[in-house]
Amino acid sequence: MAEEAAIQAELIKKFPFLESKVRVQRARRIYTEVGPEKFAEVFDYAVKNMHFCILCTITGLDEGQVLSFIYHIAREDGTVLNIKRSVPKENPVIKTITPYFFAADIYEREVMDLLGAKVEGLAPGKRYPLPDEWPQDQYPLRKDWKTPSKGTEAKQNA
Amino acid sequence: MAGSLFSILIFPGFVFLLVFGLAAEFFDRRIYARLQNRQGPPWFQPVADLIKLMAKEDIIPCEANPRIFKAMPILAMTATVTAFFYIPLWGEKAIFSFTGDSIVVLYLLTIPTLTFFLGGWYSTSLYSRIGAMRAITQLFAYEVPLFMSILGPALMANTWSLSEMAVFYSKHPFYCVFNMLGFAIGLVALLGKLEKVPFDIPEAETEIVGGTFTEYSGRLLGFFRAAIDIEVIVGASLMAAVFMPFGLNVWPALGFFFYIAKVLLVVAALALFRTVFARLRIDQMINFCWKYLAPAAFVQLLINLIVKGLIVR
Amino acid sequence: MRKVIIPIGPQHPALKEPESFQVVLSGERIMEFSARLGYNHRGIEKACEERTYIQDIYLTERICGICSHSHSSAFVQAVEDIAGLEVPKRGLYIRTLIGELERIHSHLLWLGVAGHEIGFDTLLMYSWRDREVVMDILAMLTGNRVNYGVNTIGGVRRDIDADQLKQIAKAVDTLEDRTKYYIDIATKETTVIERLSGVGVLSHDDAIRLGAVGPTARASNVKRDVRKDDPYAVYAELDFKVVTDSHNDVYGRTIVRMGELLEAYKIIRQIVKKIPDGPIAVKAPRKIPAGEAVSRYEAPRGEDVHYVKANGTEKPERVKVRAPTLANIQTVAKMLEDRQLADLPIVIAAIDPCFSCTDRMISVRNDGQKRANMMKWEDLHTYSIEWYRRKGIDFSKVNEKFKKAVK
Repeated sequence: MAEEAAIQAELIKKFPFLESKVRVQRARRIYTEVGPEKFAEVFDYAVKNMHFCILCTITGLDEGQVLSFIYHIAREDGTVLNIKRSVPKENPVIKTITPYFFAADIYEREVMDLLGAKVEGLAPGKRYPLPDEWPQDQYPLRKDWKTPSKGTEAKQNA
Repeated sequence: MAGSLFSILIFPGFVFLLVFGLAAEFFDRRIYARLQNRQGPPWFQPVADLIKLMAKEDIIPCEANPRIFKAMPILAMTATVTAFFYIPLWGEKAIFSFTGDSIVVLYLLTIPTLTFFLGGWYSTSLYSRIGAMRAITQLFAYEVPLFMSILGPALMANTWSLSEMAVFYSKHPFYCVFNMLGFAIGLVALLGKLEKVPFDIPEAETEIVGGTFTEYSGRLLGFFRAAIDIEVIVGASLMAAVFMPFGLNVWPALGFFFYIAKVLLVVAALALFRTVFARLRIDQMINFCWKYLAPAAFVQLLINLIVKGLIVR
Repeated sequence: MRKVIIPIGPQHPALKEPESFQVVLSGERIMEFSARLGYNHRGIEKACEERTYIQDIYLTERICGICSHSHSSAFVQAVEDIAGLEVPKRGLYIRTLIGELERIHSHLLWLGVAGHEIGFDTLLMYSWRDREVVMDILAMLTGNRVNYGVNTIGGVRRDIDADQLKQIAKAVDTLEDRTKYYIDIATKETTVIERLSGVGVLSHDDAIRLGAVGPTARASNVKRDVRKDDPYAVYAELDFKVVTDSHNDVYGRTIVRMGELLEAYKIIRQIVKKIPDGPIAVKAPRKIPAGEAVSRYEAPRGEDVHYVKANGTEKPERVKVRAPTLANIQTVAKMLEDRQLADLPIVIAAIDPCFSCTDRMISVRNDGQKRANMMKWEDLHTYSIEWYRRKGIDFSKVNEKFKKAVK
């Protein structure tokens, strides 16, 4: 766990506001949460100076009032840093991380489609993974979106 | 008149060819399957396939030129059957022959490929057109080695007629030894002509769906399939007549048996190639044909010329 | 030469699952390549939130038909992490064993598919015949050929006995023999080499930049393997090496996969020898305490990432799945740059795509307000033509004639 503690210490040293926000869950798993104004800075530092060079994926979460996005980035030695950031649900704007990770493109499109995030700076392209005729304001992974149950479908058909 | 009509239509003409073609297809598929550790189809499978296709509806794409679309399969079949009449089978004489019939046979054998091209092109589907382009590109690659591999033995026999070549070689069977390189070249070129692996580029399923035949269905596809089956027999007969002129002067029934054996041998060789190779790309195929096959055919020509000058005279 | 746009998919003989690719061709040369993913989206992530953890194991197992064990393992690992469950050693060994057997069956399957894509059907027939050996073993151990249903939270559901271990050892010997023969074919047969080497080149730097994973990355000499870097189950106790290759092309990918087969046999032999006695599972609570976990798993195709968030109930708050193909599919456009159409099937096949894993969603419903309607044949036809026209391929004349014909 020495390695993880070192990473934790480094993060806190560089960004004092992360004090008590960096959590080591187990070997090779570190979690942290960053406010929207500081996110870019922390992310940039982690990728460029701490060798977190693999983007595992981006997870989008619906947490009631806010939408959260967890960026899972990993190092060659298997340590995964999970940086979470939250944005208000009414205006869920995040900045693209494609300058760091080219592969982030498809993950960002996914959170756009499924959670309705607005990603700034993402080059125009085809949507993923919903079909082209999917309505614009429907985001299936939001908590208030319910799968139409079999009963309602039957009623519609009747 | 009635006799030659019988030999054109029934034996050893069209009906015989069709039956033998289907039987050879079964033989080919069975060997291919056994080599791949599979069971393979039952003996009547090719016949059943043909009957099924003949009974099905023809669908002609609205965009296609219906006249050309319909004419091509029949033209393909006619050309191959016609070529067959000029090849000596189990005697020294073919059904018809004249000075220079070897050239006619080779040109008649080019026609099916042209029909594939025209049929594919005029069916206007994207996949068909790519297949058609590939078929015609491939034609330019294997046609020259094929012609030259037949030309060598013809030079040595001092004739352009296949029947006279048969007479010459059955008088001097030993001379065939000098044509072995040509035989190998002929077989490889035949693979290209018949569009079989590794040269099945025009109908590469995983790339362009059905290639030339993507839009063909029902009877028209059945005709094409039958034409290809017949083409296999004609091609193999040509190889047999030019490179394996043995057993031509024996009792006809025995000669017939020899002929069947020779054709099946060629079919088996083609099936073997099909089993052990992967499909090449079109550029690799053309490279191969012009870089190795054509020069080898030249070497064959040289051998024939030298042998002719020194031994045959 | 005039450029043509060719649709490869959603339905195409080269694709085993629906996914839409478009290539712009100039002659045989590929000028542009674009992919539209999402045809297999089945909404599994959403469905997971509405089901209990136990149900979710079986649901995640059905994300993919080939790496089913990978997904369920990744999922249960995450849940076990949250619940703080200590899985008994024997359970972990069995989990690893099934995982490696699955890798063998996946790689043999891939070899056959690759053979088929380059028109070498003999290889397909042979490798799939031998794949039956490992399928039989899997059926014997788990009762199923693909969706094994072996994992459960806190361990595995089925124990194995000494006799089965013996049979596994025997099957591995047979398979090793056969694999060596295939390596021989793939590395010596001229036409195969012609079709594979120099095709689909992905340089080392590009592999890293585009985020390739699994054998695709390892064939570009990127030494990344979750089993080594972030060991899960019992991989930390096993001796194996990460197979890499520096050919950077489809040929390299073949060599890497074949090498991994040999490593898998090595791993299985060690498991058979080392497997300890003891219980195979611990009892897991029905309600998982609140928390979150990220689990990584080296599936046959690359790295699976599962993120699970629990909220203290018996249903998860969020399950996120990242399948390896999603990371790899983005490299295909790079690999196809300036290649020929004939290379397209094998280049796509070489990342061993699994679009079901990638997409995961919903049968299209009618957004809850409109009535669901059935499409008539003519409407469907018109619709399909419209769909293609939007992609730049015009079939409108066909449509007019079709309408006339219908009338």
